[in-house]
Amino acid sequence: MSARHLSVRRGRARPATAMVIGLVAALALATGCSSDDGGGEQTSGPVTIKVWAWYPAFQPVVDLFNATHDDIKIEWTNAGAGQDQYTKLQTALKAGKGAPDVAMLEFQEMPTFQITKHLVDMGKYGANEIKGNYADWAWKQVSVGDAVYSIPVDAGPMAMLYRQDVFDKFGLTVPKTWDEYKQQAVKLKAASPTSFISDFGANDGGFMTGIMWQTGSRPYDYSSGSTDIGVKVNNAEAKQTMTYWEDMVDSGLADTVAYGTTDFYNGLASGKYATYLAAGWGPGYLQSVAKTTAGKWRAAPLPQWVAGEDRQGDWGGSSFAVTDQTEHPEEATKVAMEIFGSNKDAWKIGIDQAYLFPTAKPILEWDYFLNKEYEFFGGQKVNEIFVPAYNGVGEYDWPPFNSYSFNQLTTAINQAVTKKTSWTAALDTVQQNVSTYAKQQGFTVTQ
Amino acid sequence: MTTLTAAGAGTGTDTPRTDTWRAPARPGAGRISSYAVMAVMAVYFLLPFWWLLVAATKDNDGLFGSAPLWFAGENHFFDNLKVLFTHENGVYLKWMRNSALYSVVSGVGATAISALAGYAFAKLRFPGRNALFAALLGLIMVPATALVLPTYLMMSQVGLVDSIWAVILPSLLSPFGVYLLRVYVHDSVPDEMLEAARIDGAGELRVFRSVALPAMRPALVTVLLFTMVATWNNFFLPLVMLSDNELFPLTVGLRTWYMSATLGNAGPALFNVIVVGALVAILPLIVAFLLLQRYWRGGLTIGSLK
Amino acid sequence: MKTTRRRTTKGRQALTGWLFVAPFTLLLIAFLLLPMAYALKLSLYRSTLVEGEVFAWFDNYRQALGDPEFRSGVWRVLIFGLVQTPVMIGLALLAALLVDGVISRFSRFFRLAAFVPYAVPVVIGTLMWGFLYSPNTGPLTAVTGIDFLSNNMVLASLGNIVTWQWAGYNMIVLYAALQGMPREIYESAKIDGASEVQIALRVKTPMISAALVLVTIFTIIGTLQFFTEPLLLQPLNPGAITNSYTPNIYAYNQAFSFQQHNYSAAISFLLGAVVFVGSYIFLYLTRRRSALR
Repeated sequence: MSARHLSVRRGRARPATAMVIGLVAALALATGCSSDDGGGEQTSGPVTIKVWAWYPAFQPVVDLFNATHDDIKIEWTNAGAGQDQYTKLQTALKAGKGAPDVAMLEFQEMPTFQITKHLVDMGKYGANEIKGNYADWAWKQVSVGDAVYSIPVDAGPMAMLYRQDVFDKFGLTVPKTWDEYKQQAVKLKAASPTSFISDFGANDGGFMTGIMWQTGSRPYDYSSGSTDIGVKVNNAEAKQTMTYWEDMVDSGLADTVAYGTTDFYNGLASGKYATYLAAGWGPGYLQSVAKTTAGKWRAAPLPQWVAGEDRQGDWGGSSFAVTDQTEHPEEATKVAMEIFGSNKDAWKIGIDQAYLFPTAKPILEWDYFLNKEYEFFGGQKVNEIFVPAYNGVGEYDWPPFNSYSFNQLTTAINQAVTKKTSWTAALDTVQQNVSTYAKQQGFTVTQ
Repeated sequence: MTTLTAAGAGTGTDTPRTDTWRAPARPGAGRISSYAVMAVMAVYFLLPFWWLLVAATKDNDGLFGSAPLWFAGENHFFDNLKVLFTHENGVYLKWMRNSALYSVVSGVGATAISALAGYAFAKLRFPGRNALFAALLGLIMVPATALVLPTYLMMSQVGLVDSIWAVILPSLLSPFGVYLLRVYVHDSVPDEMLEAARIDGAGELRVFRSVALPAMRPALVTVLLFTMVATWNNFFLPLVMLSDNELFPLTVGLRTWYMSATLGNAGPALFNVIVVGALVAILPLIVAFLLLQRYWRGGLTIGSLK
Repeated sequence: MKTTRRRTTKGRQALTGWLFVAPFTLLLIAFLLLPMAYALKLSLYRSTLVEGEVFAWFDNYRQALGDPEFRSGVWRVLIFGLVQTPVMIGLALLAALLVDGVISRFSRFFRLAAFVPYAVPVVIGTLMWGFLYSPNTGPLTAVTGIDFLSNNMVLASLGNIVTWQWAGYNMIVLYAALQGMPREIYESAKIDGASEVQIALRVKTPMISAALVLVTIFTIIGTLQFFTEPLLLQPLNPGAITNSYTPNIYAYNQAFSFQQHNYSAAISFLLGAVVFVGSYIFLYLTRRRSALR
């Protein structure tokens, strides 16, 4: 045998026992110390606040905060996006350790986390002082009476982004109502059979909820802390919305490619989809996935059901909450309130680099934001569209089991789309399943 | 527990035995069609790699825009590499380090533990040996992935999750490695050798170390290789056990990036980074496989050859 | 004196024996027996958002057995296993026979080509195929006109990924078994007038039946635990690949998306039990062939 083998052998033969001992020692070590036993108490010097968030371009915002605060230092980790982070957070909260001081939570997840009773009531630490900085509906997403469970950061008011070049090419006009939207869709299809007025992402619970929200659907009636829940997923407005889109899909006017896939990006980039019904963070999203179409997009308000109405919907939006594992609730609250807050320097980064849509009134009314011209949109002041949309969003309740709820919705509608069955029947199925689930979880369900 | 591997104890050499049997001299259809079928199958197996190579030279827009199986206009390979290693503060390099750490430690550890146990089952008489071995045989059949979730729940009670031990410790368990080594020792390590050493006054440990281990070498290397590969490729266990993304191995890390890319509000959808990340992730194993062919090529027999 | 030495030798052996199997046994207890016991315990409780954890006897099992999502998942992996296994073993066998019949540099190259996918982590293999399958950005649909991610095709497409990944590995196992067979038998068969194909089917294949049984059982065990590929491909067709697509995915989502740990434990336990029992039955039925005691 070659020398190579000998050395391999010698490296291993002797430590056979050593291995055993090493293993036992390792086991002892492992039970002895856990992975993030944070540093010792800090009796002096800045307080370290751990933050979990997945905002794009967040590092400069963190740096800014740390540079301007002597008493607090933020330690930021991207613990995953969306459900990935929520899962980790749930686990850590349940285990009693491993959770950060401050965590990013989308609005739809708030009741889910509030019911764990592991969120700190920031109202005790002065959060209500900034209540006036936020629209009512946004503040209600994060609070129950005077108890404040998180501070809103960004929102996703919906608007219609459209390809000016495609509209020009086929002589389309910007629709103001959903009827007009369909008419333009028909016109487009006739002129270009491979085009669609838009894609319909049945895999995105937030998207579908947002457009139903606009119609006026309110599937849940729930207030954190209550053991009662009203479930009416298949309400009239929801059915109205779904019937409309079922028709659009069946008539070949809307595509059914899943959002977030390369095929979807391809469709946006190639002009296959003439419009994209987007949230306030949509412009930034487009810029990253459809770079080659810079300058070709414009923004317009969402079509209305009845001409002249002002109904709006929201898709996404996030906030910062403080967990009960923090040893410094005051400082953590301060971080949650101020890291974005109404800070113009932080928001400049948020607006320019992360394309976040702010919820704080001082920023919404800030000239820099309101009058910002977006090259990607041919110089249009896109926020002039999104701000009124934000202001028109109404209140909305989420259930304390939103993952389950979104999951039921997307599964049911997806099935209806692919099997070509009734979408309203799908809503009925969701209603049934969710009610059963809520009852199993111990709630008193009103349908 | 490492995922089940059908690694084998073998002699480490490949003997095509062309001396005792030659392929038929027929020029024939038989050979040509054999080659044809093999060629088609080879294309099938290699196509995704070709795609990956080509895709790694494209930037994000190129990926969506150009023909998938051929190169786009410009070569962005080195740009992609740069982004790969700097994205999110160079977390990709940490992932590589983690994958290497887990697979080496688990591989060496599992091999050592399996060697001890396999040898003991084969050559040492101790009460309870047969019962334990029978239990082992039965437990091979318990599906590893069905255990991951309960292991996770159990370990989180003890506070061991989200650490390197959460991945390494379960991976040290290799019932199949024990079985294999037991078979190999039983077949290839003569009792007389061991007796001779004992008579010479060697203690059991010495007998194991100096007599048995050298004889077990080929099987040890095979078990080592396969446990290392299994751990490098492991996904479910680290996915469930780890939340701190600095501890992720490459498998979980790449998947996290992929999920972010498909989510709307998580920022730019960097598919090109994922693609080049995938390419870099598979290179070490492929290179290792090419270099270490002699070990897996000849040696893949199982107890079936007894 | 002899007896004393034998007794102490025996005693020493016994002690060494225990010592040597100790690490393995400890691990076995810690990571196999204990989790199973813990899963069983968890599965006997229920946890609701409103009330917290309550003892519930076999409610979770009753619920699982009546749960249409769980049942369709089980059904799906059974069908998948029944179809996928013969396809892949067949392919592996074909490849092994080909390589065994033709010794040349090309066949060595082919062997390597077939084996390389095994070196690729399942995650990456699935991502690669996911791109290849994309109707608009991948090459396959353009060439064949088939949408591999459509609802009808998606299970087969997943099967293809598994085949691609594991056929080479299984081929090597079968090839090694073939290589271990005495060639003289082929000589005599040829003298008797058998063709190559006949030799391959009637002589070689039965001779390696033990290896065939083994790769089959491991393939079946793998397919019943199907998790990674569908999980990764899910964003591409979430309508078809639901959160309860396979029992493992269902258990995973129950635990991690919905925090239903008890139900998840019940599902894991059921899955484990099914696989365990199924494997035993299969091995028992093929015990003459498998040479596994």
